[in-house]
Amino acid sequence: MGVPNYPPALEGSHFEPFYEGLAAGELRVTADPETGDIIWYPPEVVPGRPDAKLEWRSVSPDGKAYTFTTVVRSLLPGDHKAEVPFTVVLFEPDDAKGVRIPGLLVNGEGVEPQCEMRLRFSPVRVGDHVIAGFEPA
Amino acid sequence: MSDQGRFQGNRVAITGVGETEYIRGTKQTLIEMMAAAALDAIADAGLKPTDIDGFVGNRNTPGADDLAYALGIERRPFSAVTDTLGGTAPAGEALRHAQLAIEAGLARHVLVSYGIWSTKPGGVYGFHAREPQKAAFEMPVGYFGQPSYFASMANRYAFDHGLTEEELASIAITYRKWAVMNPRAQRREPLDLDSYRQSPMISTPLRVADCCLTTDGACAYVVSAVERAGDMPHPIVSLAGLGIGTNGYPHGILFTQKACTYEYPGIDSADEAYAMAGISPKDLDLAQIYDGFSIQALVQTEMLGLCDPGEGGRFYSEGHAAPGGKMPINTSGGHLSGGYVPGINLLIEGVRQLRGNEGERQVLDARLCAVAGLGGNSHSTAILARL
Repeated sequence: MGVPNYPPALEGSHFEPFYEGLAAGELRVTADPETGDIIWYPPEVVPGRPDAKLEWRSVSPDGKAYTFTTVVRSLLPGDHKAEVPFTVVLFEPDDAKGVRIPGLLVNGEGVEPQCEMRLRFSPVRVGDHVIAGFEPA
Repeated sequence: MSDQGRFQGNRVAITGVGETEYIRGTKQTLIEMMAAAALDAIADAGLKPTDIDGFVGNRNTPGADDLAYALGIERRPFSAVTDTLGGTAPAGEALRHAQLAIEAGLARHVLVSYGIWSTKPGGVYGFHAREPQKAAFEMPVGYFGQPSYFASMANRYAFDHGLTEEELASIAITYRKWAVMNPRAQRREPLDLDSYRQSPMISTPLRVADCCLTTDGACAYVVSAVERAGDMPHPIVSLAGLGIGTNGYPHGILFTQKACTYEYPGIDSADEAYAMAGISPKDLDLAQIYDGFSIQALVQTEMLGLCDPGEGGRFYSEGHAAPGGKMPINTSGGHLSGGYVPGINLLIEGVRQLRGNEGERQVLDARLCAVAGLGGNSHSTAILARL
């Protein structure tokens, strides 16, 4: 299986803590500190509470796949032919209902990807950056 | 909708339709294609360009000022822009704007024109890359472009309801059967299960054959009051019902965070349209369903009530939507085989079927046709009726 190499576009965004978390071996998502609700992906404005500021918090590295697909033809801008195939999963952490974190299925040779399969966070270094990876648990 | 009683069916009609050819690699610009389709539609309605006094465009296409200039029209007392995406805009929301303008006395003949230039530099997926959340969280793991989004929906649908490869393939195969009979269709070579399996895989389980075509082209139609339509060249095809549904997920999070990623707001739009038209799905003679991807069409077929929930795969594999089936769907070949001008070429096919002159693919005695449009977080259902 291949690995996509497309560095995240973070300039001017407020998403850096997610990647700082990956580098530190943590999955981090955003939450409303007043209500405790996780709000993901981080929006520019909290729905219904435009004055609220979100905070980042860690979530469980254990969870399951909501769904998946194996990308055979990459549609990323540029030439990424050599990086396919790879399998993307939408990971749902056990302690963050409704949150889905896209990531790469790793260490899954011989495993048929399936919805609801158990997964564990396993970050993947690609050149100078780290992406979210998940391996069968 | 609280004031639905004031927005009633069979008040306006689609009196003219026009389209360019559907090709890949046009030499024309988008405004050239849209103007050509518009002139075709205006002539089809038996009108002159200067008879057009209303315009409905879309936020992603050239505006009314450019189109009116291209058509030589100076007076345009009414113009509006649809704010939805994809098929919802020209096959749903534009009809609502047109009817509102006509019923308010602001316009007599409203022109709706929509085009797509898929082979333009930058490709068709460039707009996704401009979504900050996609650029930050999805593109670095290779999750990018509609085929991957809808492939993951298909896998979840299959997990929830069951869907075999043969059933998924039967959607593309069904629409190709119609396209074979459509001289304007982009893909007319027969498609069976063997040739489907030879179609290159893009993102499992979706193959090229499951994806809409890359099309350069434009379509247009004219909307007029029903009482005027009686004096115009064609049998009256009215707007009997119209519903528009939305959900609360903006485009940046739509494909990952929605509770059920393949639940489009199609049930809401269909219920509203059927209620306005005073009909049920059983009354329909045929349907045109937005098929950016095969799985989308399957889910909408269920949402429109043409089969039971979870039964879409069997519905198609048993031939119910194919020529000779009980509910013909996408009789031009749809977006998978006919051409992809989002939503609007499906609407035009619906109008022509109800006029009754579609040659060997004509659905006999067709009087009621549903047209479903999907675009991002919105969905439309229009019920067209031959009066």
